[in-house]
Amino acid sequence: MKKLMLGNEAVARGAWEAGVAFGSGYPGTPSTEILEHLAKYPEVAVQWAPNEKVGLEVALGAMLAGARALVTMKHVGLNVAADPFFSAAYTGVNGGLVVVSADDPGMHSSQDEQDNRYYAKMAKVLMVEPADVEEARWMTREAFALSERFDSPVLLRMTTRVSHQTGVAGLGEPLSVAAKGFRKDIAKYVLLPSHARDRRHKIEKRLRDAAAFGDSSDLWNPVRRGASRVGVVTSGVAYGYVREALPDASILKIGLSWPLPMERIKAFAATVEELYVVEELEPFLEEAMRAAGLAVKGSELRPYTGELDLSTVERMLLGAPHHAVSVDLSDTAIPARPPTLCPGCGHRGMFTLFREMGLRVMGDIGCYTLGALRPLAAMDACLCMGASVGMAEGLQKFGGPKEKGRTVGVIGDSTFFHTGLPGLLDMLANGSDATLVILDNAVTAMTGGQPNPGTGRDIRGGATVRLDLGALCRGLGVTRVREVDPYDMAAVRKVLEEELAAPEVSVVIAKAPCVLEYRVAAGRPVEVDVETCTRCGACIRVGCMAIHEQGGYPNVDAGLCTGCSVCAQVCDAGSIAVPGEKN
Amino acid sequence: MDITNIMLSGVGGQGILTSGRVLALAALDAGLDVKMSEVHGMSQRGGNVDAHVRIGREVPSSLIPKGGAHFLVSFEKMEALRYLDFLRPDGVAFVARHEIAPLSPSLKEGAGYVAGVDVALARKAPSLVWVDAFGIAQALGDLRMVNVVLLGALSNRIGELAPENWEAALRDRFSAKVREACLEAFRKGAAHGRAA
Ligand SMILES: Cc1ncc(C[n+]2csc(CCOP(=O)(O)OP(=O)(O)O)c2C)c(N)n1
Repeated sequence: MKKLMLGNEAVARGAWEAGVAFGSGYPGTPSTEILEHLAKYPEVAVQWAPNEKVGLEVALGAMLAGARALVTMKHVGLNVAADPFFSAAYTGVNGGLVVVSADDPGMHSSQDEQDNRYYAKMAKVLMVEPADVEEARWMTREAFALSERFDSPVLLRMTTRVSHQTGVAGLGEPLSVAAKGFRKDIAKYVLLPSHARDRRHKIEKRLRDAAAFGDSSDLWNPVRRGASRVGVVTSGVAYGYVREALPDASILKIGLSWPLPMERIKAFAATVEELYVVEELEPFLEEAMRAAGLAVKGSELRPYTGELDLSTVERMLLGAPHHAVSVDLSDTAIPARPPTLCPGCGHRGMFTLFREMGLRVMGDIGCYTLGALRPLAAMDACLCMGASVGMAEGLQKFGGPKEKGRTVGVIGDSTFFHTGLPGLLDMLANGSDATLVILDNAVTAMTGGQPNPGTGRDIRGGATVRLDLGALCRGLGVTRVREVDPYDMAAVRKVLEEELAAPEVSVVIAKAPCVLEYRVAAGRPVEVDVETCTRCGACIRVGCMAIHEQGGYPNVDAGLCTGCSVCAQVCDAGSIAVPGEKN
Repeated sequence: MDITNIMLSGVGGQGILTSGRVLALAALDAGLDVKMSEVHGMSQRGGNVDAHVRIGREVPSSLIPKGGAHFLVSFEKMEALRYLDFLRPDGVAFVARHEIAPLSPSLKEGAGYVAGVDVALARKAPSLVWVDAFGIAQALGDLRMVNVVLLGALSNRIGELAPENWEAALRDRFSAKVREACLEAFRKGAAHGRAA
C-alpha cells in the first residue's frame, strides 16, 4: 500500500507504527502538523504543552513509565527544551524517546536559521535525518528501536522541505510493543553528580557502539554506486539534489548522522577519486571529515546561508546550473506581498494606538509581530518567545524620557503562557513599574489555531480547563490588571495612559477572539464618504486588506470588511461609517 | 531523469495547496512518483503562496529550480509575474485573469498593483495562456471552483496523466457534496484549455 502524505504526517504515521503511546510538543512551523496528525490515531494520547520544555518533561515521565514517547517542536523550541534534553541524554531511556526538531533553512517562518544537528553532537545523543516523506515514516518508526537499543533519546531532525513535502509513503503494520512498566534505578535516573559521572562514561560507550552500528548499517547509511569517479557524502534533503545533479556519482547517504559512521565514510572515500560533501547550512559533516584527515570539497563551493536547491548544488558540483534562467525580471518592479493581520483582527486597533501614542513597543512572537511591518510599523524589538516582558522591564528601567513611562511589553496569550510568565514574576519581584499588554485572542493563531491553556479545549477539541489570564495575574500579585476591548480604541487609549503613569506593574489584557479561528461573524461593512474625506490616509495606515487606495481615495472591499471599525475610529473627518450608523 | 515540473502560485487562501494535492494524487493514481513542496505558516496571512509539484518515474527532490518549470499555473496575475522566471524557455504559463491588490502602504503609494502586468506577462512569458477561471467558476455558481478550472486548463498538456487519473484525484480530494461540481468545473477548464 502506498499513500500520498505530508512529511509531518509521515512522522506521525511512523510513530504510530512504532507503537508510540504518547505525543507531546508545542506548535511551531514547520513542525506543527506532526502532533495534529498523530491526534488522528485515537489509541495515542496526544497533547499540546504550554512550551517545549514542559512538553519534553511530560514525555520523560511517560518514557520512565515504559511508554514510547514522541516530542515535537521547531528548531528554536529545542533551545527552550535544551535543559531537559541535555539531562535526558545522561539518563537515557526506559521506553523509546524521539525528539523531533524541525529546522527551517531559509527562515521561511522563523527568527533564526540555527542548525540543530549540533544539538545531537553537544548532547551526545543519536540523530537521524530523513530526506523525504517515505524516510520520515520509516526512520521515525525505527528511531524508537534505536532509542531503546542504545539507551538514548533520538533527535529526529526534520527541515522545512521534508516536513512540508508531500510525497508517496509506504504503509507499515503497527508493531505491538509490550509495556515495560516503571523500573526504579536511581543511579540512572537521579542525576546527582556522582551518578552523572558514571553516566558520563556510559554515554561515551553508547556513542562508540552506535558509531560501530552506523559503520555497518546499509539501511541507515546506504551507498549508491555510480559509474563516475566522483563520490558525494550527503544527508537529509540535500540527497535529492545530489541525485539529480550528478546521476552517475557514487553517493554515501547518511541517515544516522550522529554519531557519524566515520569508518564507513573513510572506506567510501577510498573508493572514489574526487570527494564532495553536500549538506545544508553548517559544515557539520565536513568539519568531522576534515578532522578525520579526508580531503573533501564542500562548503567553499556553496553559501552557508539559506536552503539548498538543485541549482545551488549544480553550481557546487558542476560549476553552473543545468537550468539557465531565461526570463529576466530584473527590470520589472513587483511589489512585495507580505502577510498581514486579517481584516477584523483584534490586534490591529492596538498597534494603531501604539503608533499614534508614540510608544516604545517591546514585541513578541505571534501574528501580532506583523504589527512591526508597514504601515502599522509599531514595534521596536522582537527576539524570541517571552522576551517582550523582560525587555520591557529593562527598557523602562534604563531608557531615556522617550522610554520611561512610554514603554509597553506586548505579548500574545499563547506566548505569555509559553515563557512570558517568568518575566512577569521578575517585574513583580524586582519592583518594576513597567506595563505589559497581553493580546488575548484565546488561541495560538500564528501557527494555525492550536489551543493553549486559555482556550478551554484540548488538541482533539475536548473540553478542558480554561485559564483566566486576569485571575492568573491578580493571583500572582499584580494589583493593576485591566481588561479592555481592543475594538474600543478611545477606552483602550485612556487605560494605557493611566497604566503607563502608574508607579507599579500593570497588566492590560486586550480580549478579542481570533476572527479566523473562531469564525467570528462579520458585521456590516463600513463605507467611505468621499465628499467629506480629506485624504489624510489615516485609514490606510491601519494596514487592512479590506481598505485600499483607489483613485486617490480610500475604498472599502465590502467582501472583506468585517465592520470592526478601526479605520472609522482613526478618521478625524468622520467619513467612514457603517451606512445608517453615525460615526 | 524525466520529470515534469509544475509551479503553482497565488495568494494565501486561493486553494493553491489543494490544487497541488490534486495534481499529486493524479500522479499517484497514474503509478508515478511525485513530490510537492509547499510553505505553510507566515505566508498564509494574505502573503504569496507557492507549491512546487514534480512528477516522474522517479523524483528525488521536491523543489523546482528557476528556469526548470514546464508549467506555471497562477491564480493571480501579479503572482504569475513574480514566478515567471521559474519557467523553462519552452515553458507555458496558465494565468487566471484575476487581480488581488497587495496592501496599500499609504494613500500616496497606492495599492501597489502594477499597471501593465498584462503587458509584462505577454512580453516575458515564453508562452502564455489566459484562463478565465473566475468567469467559468462564476458561471458554474461557485467561485471556489477556480482552482479546479485552472487544473482542467492545464490537464491537456500533461501527457503522463489521463483523464481518469484526474477524475480519481478529484474524487479522492473532494467530499461527495462538491464532487460532481468539481468534475464539471474541471471539464469546463479542460475545454477552455484545449481551445486556447
Ligand atoms: C520557542 C518557539 N516555539 C514556537 C514558536 C512558533 N510560534 C511562533 S508564534 C507562536 C504563537 C503565537 O501565539 P500567540 O502568542 O497567542 O499570538 P497569536 O499568533 O495568537 O496572535 C508560535 C508557537 C517560536 N517562534 N518559538
